Amino acid sequence: MAVLLLAVLLAAPPVAFAAATQQEVEEALTCQCGCGLTVHACNHLQCGSGEPMKKEIRERLAAGEMKEAILETFRARYGEKVLSSPTFRGFNWLAWIIPFAAVAAGGLGLAVAIGRWGARSTTAAPAAPEASGALRERLARELAEFDAE
Amino acid sequence: MPELGRLAICLALLFAAYATGVSIVGAIRRRRHLVRSGAHAAYAVFALVVVAVAILLRALLAHDFSLEYVAAYSSSTLPVQYTVAALWGGQKGSLLFWAFMLTLFTTIVQVQNRERNRDLMPWVTATLMTTAMFFLGLLTFVTDPFERLPIAAREGADLNPLLQNYWMTIHPPSLYTGYVSASVPFAFAIAALATGRLGDQWIRSVRRWSLFSWFFLTLGNLFGARWAYEVLGWGGYWAWDPVENAAFMPWLVSTAYLHSVMIQEKKDMLRVWNMVLVLLTFSLTIFGTFLTRSGVISSVHSFTQSGLGPFFIGFLLLVLVVSGGLVAYRFPELRTAATVESFLSREAAFLFNNLVLVGIAFAVFWGTVFPVVSEWVRGVKITVGPPFFNRVNAPLGVALLLLAGIGPAIAWRRASPRNLWRAFATPVGAGLVAAVALLLARVPLGYAHATFALGVFVLGTIAQEFWRGMRARQAMLHESAPRALSRLVGKNRRRYGGYIIHVGVVAVFVGVAASSAFRVEVQQTLAAGQEVAAGKFTLRYEQITKQDDPHMSRLAAVVSVWRDGRQIATLAPEKRFYKKPQQPTTEVAMRPTLTEDLYLVLGSYDEESGLVTLLAYVNPLVSWIWIGGVIMALGTTVAMWPTLAERRAPAYALGAARVPAD
Repeated sequence: MAVLLLAVLLAAPPVAFAAATQQEVEEALTCQCGCGLTVHACNHLQCGSGEPMKKEIRERLAAGEMKEAILETFRARYGEKVLSSPTFRGFNWLAWIIPFAAVAAGGLGLAVAIGRWGARSTTAAPAAPEASGALRERLARELAEFDAE
Repeated sequence: MPELGRLAICLALLFAAYATGVSIVGAIRRRRHLVRSGAHAAYAVFALVVVAVAILLRALLAHDFSLEYVAAYSSSTLPVQYTVAALWGGQKGSLLFWAFMLTLFTTIVQVQNRERNRDLMPWVTATLMTTAMFFLGLLTFVTDPFERLPIAAREGADLNPLLQNYWMTIHPPSLYTGYVSASVPFAFAIAALATGRLGDQWIRSVRRWSLFSWFFLTLGNLFGARWAYEVLGWGGYWAWDPVENAAFMPWLVSTAYLHSVMIQEKKDMLRVWNMVLVLLTFSLTIFGTFLTRSGVISSVHSFTQSGLGPFFIGFLLLVLVVSGGLVAYRFPELRTAATVESFLSREAAFLFNNLVLVGIAFAVFWGTVFPVVSEWVRGVKITVGPPFFNRVNAPLGVALLLLAGIGPAIAWRRASPRNLWRAFATPVGAGLVAAVALLLARVPLGYAHATFALGVFVLGTIAQEFWRGMRARQAMLHESAPRALSRLVGKNRRRYGGYIIHVGVVAVFVGVAASSAFRVEVQQTLAAGQEVAAGKFTLRYEQITKQDDPHMSRLAAVVSVWRDGRQIATLAPEKRFYKKPQQPTTEVAMRPTLTEDLYLVLGSYDEESGLVTLLAYVNPLVSWIWIGGVIMALGTTVAMWPTLAERRAPAYALGAARVPAD
């Protein structure tokens, strides 16, 4: 069930891709006042950066501009750092893909390893008692200490 | 007096160097008296650092503005609790505080192991004292907390107003405790690698320290989130800021270790992996400190930025090279035959849990350093902000929650279809019912929906474990239900403490998902008597009030909160102006309940027109994040609490060799 749920979930887009809202555009941009927050989250109402940006976004959306065009305008003005997350193009693509690739590679490796261990364990002799490693080590240690005395 | 503090730090550095040297020589040449001398020197280091801390604290409390540190981070009007907090509010003080915690823990470890772990202890002392040397070296040669000003200041510049908050008095000490106590498992890991005693001994010796460190990392992160929520005033509690990430990464890796070490204890496998996780947790604490200090990545939380970055990078490299080298050297001995028989087993679930936890840690690391990577490679500055971290980590987080439900319930070795049915039929049923009920309640499909449904599934598995354990005791031992339940937990503290922690984790997940997905935000400019709707609340701006004292002036908007035609609260969000640092801050007003927080921020006030601009957020279920934290703390306490047998025979219970004192 849970796997199914997860599959449904992963298939679902993380955000609704309807017409861009003010919030969506504001969240895609970083406030340039140094607060480190998105334009949407920046709450300095007299903020010299966030407030004019919010106003401009409102006006551009009202004029029927698309999200991408608005982001491009800001990017041309402030540079790529104004975007709150890396683009999906060129080198930036690595930012997005590498975490998932790493987890996928790890998962694949793990799956192959478990498959192999599983196959081996069905043919191998019964496993040694669980505490044998610890006991062996304790024996060795105590013998060593005994010898040292 | 301050000169005495400086002398104490210099002497502490010398003693730490001595302790390191004689411990290593004593260990290699098997000279007991040298090893003991090293341990005694470590005690002396602690005593000297205590003297230095006491002197700095006294200078702060006495407002000795001839000291640069006191003048920079306190003032004569600063309330006493924040004057004490100024001890870790600035860089020099925080480094001294770090040294204090480290030497305190070293002392505790020495006392705990007076009669145990004789083979490991010299290396443990040497490792901890080497770390202490790094911090004491910085305090001696680079950044002196007892530096005098050429002319004593008449008044201090005051502590940053953002740090003048209750949570800030407990958040940094908690986080530091978590960070610094990670040094103890690290030291034991290095000792195990150095001596070749790679089995259970070191793992058992650090079991409580690992939990202790994890416990304080958890609290430190949550206190920090709570501080951000109350102080930064943007309606949220986590912004994926580099410094937040720096605190989160060691927590993730430490969580992975706490799970995978169970497999080592049970099946004597994953020795290399567990070793790597312990070494990585410690390395990440140093990396986190590097991020906070270096300014290499801009952060709103870098209150103590300086040029110390290269020193931390140097120390981090040393840690990585030494640990990596030792692991490589011992690799043949560390390798053990792995025996995971099936995907449908607890071992496999734990392995995938580790993969996801370390995967999230890696994603956070990658996102945090990517701006630097981009600048190196392309010469272009970019921002990796909250949207990136949310999109990358949300699916991984949901997968983790799913595994938190599977791991504790599935059988070891190989789960049969019968076992699967018995373990999961009811929890899966509960999860499905919840999923359908949520859809009927118009909660759209998505991460929040999945989190809620999976939360029910996880709680189902945990409740079932408690229920079955209790019923079994009742049937076999004829105990009453409450007695059976308390005995069940008391006799299996680690296991049931872990389950309680999972309940807390579910609460945190639910709080985060709900407040991220269903937040309501309103911004409105109002005249006195005007109203605005925010979710199910109506807010009426009543009046502005002003207060003035020597420390700060305050401007508060009095807002009455109405619901269904009835007044339910009066809130007063403030703007404060701290006079010494000449800095305005925002003071949030909140009405927290179990279902939602009404969170008000006073944006601006126009003196002439009398208009105020209010920001109102309705954040659903946020309280559950803090409640989840309390539950996690409770569960950790249960898991850490020693059993009667351990209290009576600690050395045996810790699996350590007990040898007579000479």
